[in-house]
Amino acid sequence: MRYILTLMNIGIGFSESKDQIQAVNAAITQAIVELKNLRPSIAIIFTTIEFANPLVLKTANYLLGEIPILGCSSLGIITNQGIFKHGFSILLISLDQQTFFNTALIKELNKIDPITNGKNLGEKLLYGCNNVHRSLSIIFSDGLTASTAGILNGIQEKLGRSFPLIGASASDNLTFKKTYQYFNKELCSESCSGMLFGGKFNFGIGIKHGWNPLGKMRCVTKSSGNVIQEIENRPAVKLYQDYLAKDTWELSKELKRVSIFYPIGINLPGEKEYLLRNVISIKDDGSLVTQGDVPENSKIRLMISTKDSCFAATASACHEAKKNLGNKKIKFVIIFDSALRFSLLGRQHVKELAITKDVFGADTPLIGIYTYGEQGSLNPINYLGRSYFHNQTISVLAVGDQ
Amino acid sequence: MLTLTLFFLCCTIAGLAIYLFIKMQRLKEADDKVTALSTSLEEMDEQAKLIMRTDIELNKAQEELDKKISGLNTLQKLSREMSTTLEEKQIFQKINKSHLEDLGFENAVAFLWKTLEREFQLCLNVGYSEAEILKIKSAVSINKDHYLELINHDRTISSTLIPADFLPKDKICELYLVCAFIICPILTQEGDQGFIFIGTSDNEIPITEGDRELIAVLANQIGQTLDNARLFEKTWRSQQELELKVEERTRQLTGALEEVKKISKRKSDFISSVSHEIRTPLTSIKGYAAILLAGKLGTLPEEMHSRLEKMNRHSDELVHMVNDLLDISRIESGKAEIKKENLNLKNITDKIADLFSEQLKNKNINFSSNIPDNCQEILADRNQIERVFINLVGNALKFTPQNGKIEIRASSINKITQIDVKDTGFGIPQDAQESIFEEFFRVDNTINQEVKGTGLGLALVKHIIEAHQGKIWVKSKVGEGSTFSFTLGATK
Repeated sequence: MRYILTLMNIGIGFSESKDQIQAVNAAITQAIVELKNLRPSIAIIFTTIEFANPLVLKTANYLLGEIPILGCSSLGIITNQGIFKHGFSILLISLDQQTFFNTALIKELNKIDPITNGKNLGEKLLYGCNNVHRSLSIIFSDGLTASTAGILNGIQEKLGRSFPLIGASASDNLTFKKTYQYFNKELCSESCSGMLFGGKFNFGIGIKHGWNPLGKMRCVTKSSGNVIQEIENRPAVKLYQDYLAKDTWELSKELKRVSIFYPIGINLPGEKEYLLRNVISIKDDGSLVTQGDVPENSKIRLMISTKDSCFAATASACHEAKKNLGNKKIKFVIIFDSALRFSLLGRQHVKELAITKDVFGADTPLIGIYTYGEQGSLNPINYLGRSYFHNQTISVLAVGDQ
Repeated sequence: MLTLTLFFLCCTIAGLAIYLFIKMQRLKEADDKVTALSTSLEEMDEQAKLIMRTDIELNKAQEELDKKISGLNTLQKLSREMSTTLEEKQIFQKINKSHLEDLGFENAVAFLWKTLEREFQLCLNVGYSEAEILKIKSAVSINKDHYLELINHDRTISSTLIPADFLPKDKICELYLVCAFIICPILTQEGDQGFIFIGTSDNEIPITEGDRELIAVLANQIGQTLDNARLFEKTWRSQQELELKVEERTRQLTGALEEVKKISKRKSDFISSVSHEIRTPLTSIKGYAAILLAGKLGTLPEEMHSRLEKMNRHSDELVHMVNDLLDISRIESGKAEIKKENLNLKNITDKIADLFSEQLKNKNINFSSNIPDNCQEILADRNQIERVFINLVGNALKFTPQNGKIEIRASSINKITQIDVKDTGFGIPQDAQESIFEEFFRVDNTINQEVKGTGLGLALVKHIIEAHQGKIWVKSKVGEGSTFSFTLGATK
């Protein structure tokens, strides 16, 4: 008797050619060659912001045939070869018959409330998957909408609170003007796309940030969505003024640096790690606008870190993903690394890639992006962790042999 | 019973009072602890604030330091690479994307102002496409006065420090497709000067004083390397010109030498043909003179006989002169065949002593030869070398006064035999020593005025020695004598 085992295969392609059509062609060709001419089941596309145009997607769609395409724009592309600030990358996955998947997109996020948006996406992802074992969901959202945390809650209401999920909020070139999400031929903004894997799909997730709490714990006495109005019944900005001895004008001037170095950490009951929130602006009334929601009555502290603890967190996230995958052979690794970590690490950002390659092996196929927010659980061991919207973390997804 | 009840009641109240007292004490202690903990927490919070304030400053300093270290390493690397080239074009080619990234930038262009063409010429392009660079070139050309102003005033500008009279920041950022940049003049000691533009599209990287300093050092390094390259180019060109001049001069001299050789050959041919033409009638004259002197045509009167003897003697001298001239001519033209053979030097000197024995005896001159065993054998043409000895010893004899001394010595070094003919004669003045081997040259002294000579003897000797690949020279001091030395190859 002869058995033919059709395992999952992947191919990764990247090009930094300035001619966009040439870049798409080169990257897809490279990925198809790596895939050894197997028919791809799904494509994940990551590009830098200048590649976010309909022609690029149209070309990719034309070259790949009618297979589902998901992805988003980013500040930079991470591959085995290095970190690139210009380019087009593609991950082609050829799945065996024991693994299935579904993809979905929700658009015009600002028109309805985030939770309903999340529920809609969850429902779409579950379409046709109600009676099968579901494994993992990957989502790509707009990095500049304040509602990603709400969308996440909505998805969780449909998929389950502790259902494994990893996601990335698209980024641009740190101008915070517009980010893009890719879904088949569509180039979208203010949207959220997702994919749901089911059947035999082995993976491991690791998410870490490397920040530690400093100073007294404080209570958010008044907040709404991603705006903290008062902390301990005082204007929220007083927290930073007290700790850094700077007035509002000075803080606004240095906000990016201050926010990256000293984000707000939300203490979550039952979680070991703090959930980080970056301050993106200071309102005239002293409210702090954060990247992600901060619920009222949250216990918060200011967080502090060093580059070394960031690198230690990177290593820890990689090891965790590897450990969670078990003894399966790693097929490929996807990294969602915070764009603000990239800013913080400055010229040393390449060290994160070196650490990742060190943990997974230099030849393990790897693809990743810099994000304006990462989604995943703080403690994803045994799929029991609840997924949150994070800032300044590195999320690692290691996918193994089926 | 009542008493007992009262007693128990009192005890209970006392117990309660004690319990309350203890409880209050404990509450007070707990309150004190809470107050102390609260104070500690406040103090720790204050410490946390201090830590945070220090940390933010340290981060800034660390960032700047990291940037400087990385920048300095890159500069050192670049400097080393640039110093390996002395070609102007290659200097800029040494700067690549990797260097720029290490300096914290992505794009760079450099222009040099071509004074003759009155335009900026692109020398470096990192990170721009053909279309982008064309746009930049055109904009630089339009705004050339602004850039020239920067160069002339040696001003480094950056996105955080732009003088009011320069182009606006937004315009520069839009043109060069960057968010932050530095423009620094490239100054040189001589030749074309220019500027380097370095930028990044990362708006998170602020341009600091440290960045400006690093790029200024880089521009300075480029300037110095350009100077070195130009100096090298100049030196190389001078050397090339010099070599061309030497070549031209050598060519001229070679031509002149060829001309001299031609003239010399013509002279030799002339002398040869004239000598031959003279010798034929001379032989007739000598023949007829001999017949007359022998009295075959009748006895001649005494006066006629003496005149004929004079004619015969002069004819002999003329024949001798003609023979010498013919020999010189033959040797010069290479017609004279030198038949080298192994000869015994002692035998030759003995033969010479024998030949001149009568004259030596008449002037009471002591003739000696000192030929060591290792110099006995020489390789030479017998007839020619004998003529050399005859000439040199004959001259020595002629110019050495009564009771003088003539000595022939030989020595050998590295298979070369040197033979000296030393006399105690009148000597040759210093100014005449250089010309003595020239044809028809005779030293102006009383002896030469009395003794007749052709002035060809030493010239012939020189030609013979040179035909043997040897050398001849003279050392002489007036009043002390002369030593004629020549070299020959020995057989061993």
